[in-house]
Amino acid sequence: MKRKDELMLQKVGGQALLIPLGAKVLDMNGMVVLNTTGSFIWELLAEERSFEELVSAVVERFAVEADRAGDDVRTFLDDLIRQGWIAL
Amino acid sequence: MTDIVEYVPLVRELHERAAKLKQPVNGVFELTSLCNLRCGMCYVRQSGGDKAPGVRKELSASQWLEIAGQARENGLIFLLLTGGEVLLRNDFFEIYEPLTRMGFMITVFTNGALITDSIADRLARCPPSRVEISLYGATSATCEKITGVPGSFAACRAGIENLLARRIPLVLKSTLSRFNVAELEAMRQMAHGWGVPFYASWLLSRRPDKQGSEVEDYRLSAEECVELEATDRASANELREAALSEKVPDSDSNFYCKAGRAAFIVNPYGDLNVCSLLPEPAARPLEIGFHNAWMEVVKYVDSAPAPSPECLGCRDRVFCGRCPAWSLMESGTLSGPVPYWCEIARARKKRYGRPADPSPIE
Ligand code: SF4
Ligand code: SF4
Repeated sequence: MKRKDELMLQKVGGQALLIPLGAKVLDMNGMVVLNTTGSFIWELLAEERSFEELVSAVVERFAVEADRAGDDVRTFLDDLIRQGWIAL
Repeated sequence: MTDIVEYVPLVRELHERAAKLKQPVNGVFELTSLCNLRCGMCYVRQSGGDKAPGVRKELSASQWLEIAGQARENGLIFLLLTGGEVLLRNDFFEIYEPLTRMGFMITVFTNGALITDSIADRLARCPPSRVEISLYGATSATCEKITGVPGSFAACRAGIENLLARRIPLVLKSTLSRFNVAELEAMRQMAHGWGVPFYASWLLSRRPDKQGSEVEDYRLSAEECVELEATDRASANELREAALSEKVPDSDSNFYCKAGRAAFIVNPYGDLNVCSLLPEPAARPLEIGFHNAWMEVVKYVDSAPAPSPECLGCRDRVFCGRCPAWSLMESGTLSGPVPYWCEIARARKKRYGRPADPSPIE
């Protein structure tokens, strides 16, 4: 899976935001705030990634257990899929 | 991991955060000073002689995009495109369309009169987060008395309807003056009829370039301003709270806004300045790079003198909206008192101050 090009990540201090691009502006009516893990995964999704790759990257980066990382990644991806922001 | 956060508080918090980091998150690009209307109270518009020799050349589309790209690298997110009238630029879309792919939250200010079907179609393909249109009156007579252009009322209404038909997010507003204040309610109704938010403002400033504008003829009296404020629940509450808190604003900082800490403006000629009313220090991003130019603006604001002793000692200060830009325009220094604000502050105190407050010795 890979992120679509309809949103762009911007940062203010540690705060990460997804800003809609092009016609997406009308559907979103605002912007999305990401937490640290969310923005880390979003950056990884610039390239084609598998679920397992994302989980192991999160484990490595945040020194969390694989189960916990798996849950986090799944919740985040569910969000993104629901909003149609990634191409599977 | 994605949070739905209320938009207005989020934007405020982002600005606070940015100001601490001196990140220029908020930028205004004044794309042109030319306008199709001729409002007497305007502080920007260049009249007739704009094409005359000696007038500075406005930036090209590619120069705007160069500045935008560098500003983005420095953290720009909220970008306002304004004029003059932005749609008077033949190359408006050569600037606008690439900007919409760069990750900005874009707002466009326009008077609406040039928004034809085809312009609206083009905007709808990559819409801004918001368009704001100024109403000058609720009737063509009043509107055109101010704009000086016959047919501008109908053209502006058509522009509004063209945007609404394409679901482009729209906010209507009005700058009130002696000539249209009687139509405030009717303008509000007009906006509500379209289902569009509306706000009004009425504090008319002089032109920073000191060229002739007829602001004195247009301005409302201090009493009228305070009367109007009282009809606007949000500002009335704020003033009541100010009266209760008795807190005097941070006494040694002259700038209380985000200008020069999180916000900037670029004028049509490529000067990077504090804000539209304070066209200094005229740093040159295209010559020294955006980052260095922004640092000049930061330094300008950081090293501004404190408010004048009169203002620091003033008992009406919690009710006053003076800022360095107003001081510069009206008193010629960054810190002097502004008589128009003194009158407004006095009238506000009369209305909102606690009865027990000793009145200042006149
Ligand atoms: S007009 Fe005054 S308060 Fe407003 S941005 Fe400029 S300096 Fe700040
Ligand atoms: S501008 Fe006038 S009202 Fe405002 S603080 Fe200064 S002296 Fe007081």
